[in-house]
Amino acid sequence: MVLELLNIEKSFGEKKVLTDVSLKAEGGKAFGLLGRNGAGKTTSIRILMGVFPADSGRVLIDGAPIDYSKIGIGYLPEERGLYPKKIILDQLTYFAELKGMNRKAAVKAVDYWLERLGMTEYRNKKLETLSKGNQQKIQLVTALSHDPDIIILDEPFSGLDPVNAMLLKDVVKEEIRRGKIVLFSSHQMNYIEEFCDCIAILNQGKVALCGEMHTIKRNYPRDRLVVRSEKADAILSDFGSSCTKTEDGALMIQLASPADKKPVMIRLTEQYDVDEVKVFEPSLNDIFVQYAGDAAKEGEQ
Amino acid sequence: MKQFGTILKFELKNYAKNKAFVGITIFLVVLIAALMFLPRIIALFENEDPSDDANESLSVMLIKADDPAQAEMVKETFAASFGDYNVQMTDEEIHSIKDKITSGDVECAFVLNGPTSFTYYVNNLSMYDMNPDIASEVLQQIYQMNAMIGGGMSAEDAAGVMSIRIDGEVESLGKDQMQNFFYTYIMIFALYMVILLYGQMVAMSVATEKSSRAMELLVTSAKPLNMMFGKVLAACAAGLIQLVAIFGSALLFYNVNKSYWGDNGIIDSIFNIPPELFVYMLVFFLLGFLIYAFLYGAISSTVSKLEDINTAVQPVTYLFLFGFMVVMFSMSGGNVDHLLMRICSYLPFTSPMAMFTRIAMSTVPWYEIALSIGILIASTFGIGVLSAKIYRVGVLMYGTSPKIGNIIKAVWKA
Repeated sequence: MVLELLNIEKSFGEKKVLTDVSLKAEGGKAFGLLGRNGAGKTTSIRILMGVFPADSGRVLIDGAPIDYSKIGIGYLPEERGLYPKKIILDQLTYFAELKGMNRKAAVKAVDYWLERLGMTEYRNKKLETLSKGNQQKIQLVTALSHDPDIIILDEPFSGLDPVNAMLLKDVVKEEIRRGKIVLFSSHQMNYIEEFCDCIAILNQGKVALCGEMHTIKRNYPRDRLVVRSEKADAILSDFGSSCTKTEDGALMIQLASPADKKPVMIRLTEQYDVDEVKVFEPSLNDIFVQYAGDAAKEGEQ
Repeated sequence: MKQFGTILKFELKNYAKNKAFVGITIFLVVLIAALMFLPRIIALFENEDPSDDANESLSVMLIKADDPAQAEMVKETFAASFGDYNVQMTDEEIHSIKDKITSGDVECAFVLNGPTSFTYYVNNLSMYDMNPDIASEVLQQIYQMNAMIGGGMSAEDAAGVMSIRIDGEVESLGKDQMQNFFYTYIMIFALYMVILLYGQMVAMSVATEKSSRAMELLVTSAKPLNMMFGKVLAACAAGLIQLVAIFGSALLFYNVNKSYWGDNGIIDSIFNIPPELFVYMLVFFLLGFLIYAFLYGAISSTVSKLEDINTAVQPVTYLFLFGFMVVMFSMSGGNVDHLLMRICSYLPFTSPMAMFTRIAMSTVPWYEIALSIGILIASTFGIGVLSAKIYRVGVLMYGTSPKIGNIIKAVWKA
């Protein structure tokens, strides 16, 4: 299954929120939607879910316009919230029923997910009695219980402790393996980097960068080496100004051209006791800051 | 449709689980029961009272008449006319009579200054004190009797002339305002209570979902039209259940205690509402309720904070109060067909009250009724759809309450 957003435009009043936004997400892969606050992520997600229509542009599933009565969408909004004063089982089955399940199937699915997330003991408690992290796990059930084809997770990891984050990662990986389209929106780049095969960076309503993660990374000039060694000082003095020390103690060597990679690597391993030497690939964080940050400065002007 | 059913069921369950809602319903049913059992309870106490000292428990009325001949006649007639009082003659001075009244030993006193004049003394003059009027009438009759006897008529003939009864019958070809007044009043008042109460409940329910951010998930899970109609119809059903409980128990307990109520015209007229009027009552009640509930729901969806609801819904409340006032004043004025009422009986926000009042208390041609109901149904549906649109636009607007112009623009585009 392929989900496409084609040339989406959207304005609220005078303010243009999305300009010519096109994305493509495939089943069995996770897609990362990145952008600074107010870049248009939530608006894109809402258009994708049909909460409101785009001014122009199309949302397609396998090339045909999306039919919301056939395609199930699970959504974990960034602004979390359910009914604080209601019994957890009641409200979870309510949301599953709203998505078209019958009562019996809804209860069964909710019970399965409560079990899967280790929340069965809270089944008949009121939501407000739970801790924030546990409330978030309950909210996650609303996004998963109706077995949707598309799962949209907006900042799913915020507020989770490492154990719960691990649990969520397993669940998400499982859903990806089952062929679902998983759409991530997050500021926590390490998670995006871990999951997402494709990313899009939105900047002020425009797609600043879109594509497969490893292609994006490989497209950066491969003219820097990262070196870890006990003899860092010796290397530093040998390479002079082309070598700098990074914050985490590794060395960064700037090559004259990418072709120098092999000879320099050989020289390093032969001359010094080197623990690690590799071509520098920018982290998603670096890419994000570059693409989302530049325009941010423009915006501030 | 299935989704609508799910929402309706969920919202109805909320009312059933709402302690305030259940509490108020039970309280009102108990209150009605107590009210309906009241005559029976009073009768119970009255029976225990030995009738001997009934005379002592009556309050004392003093009569002072200087003319002995008048005093003799007055004592009997006053005692007969003021059955609620222990009527006693007195020769005391006026100031001592006054003292007795202010001290509370004596309830009131008549001092007769001659055959055609008296002074009435009472401590606190009640608004409904009819004693001077009765005394005037009694004295007038005595004077007339005396005059006739003085003119040569026998006492029996004179009494016959005085007690002559005129038979008269009234046949109303249209409506009897007096008879219909009470259930019209009750219907208008019930509508008033229910709209304000349930309108607020719908508003609260929408605003709570918005402020708890459950809305984020709801708008992506359910169609706004289903959401709005589900919520409003659930409130409507809950309101009807409550009313049926209250009026049903009233009817039940009234019938249980019917013999104790005697011939109470007011209560009889309430329970003997003509069937076609009852149908009109239901139609106008439902439509009136729905149109206001939709408005309350739509407006509260534009509010971000719970505490802003009251200010936001004020215009709707005033609109409703305007209709309520017009109808109430027209009803007590006895004229329900003046121009303002005619206009109000077609405007969708006032017609549920105005048109029903006119049907109940006056004669309205069928096509006027049909037109009014037609306008009301169309606008209720229109407002329902519009409120669903406002809801969809409104619920995702956070922060300060948006201006009406912005909402209209956004709804137009949506």
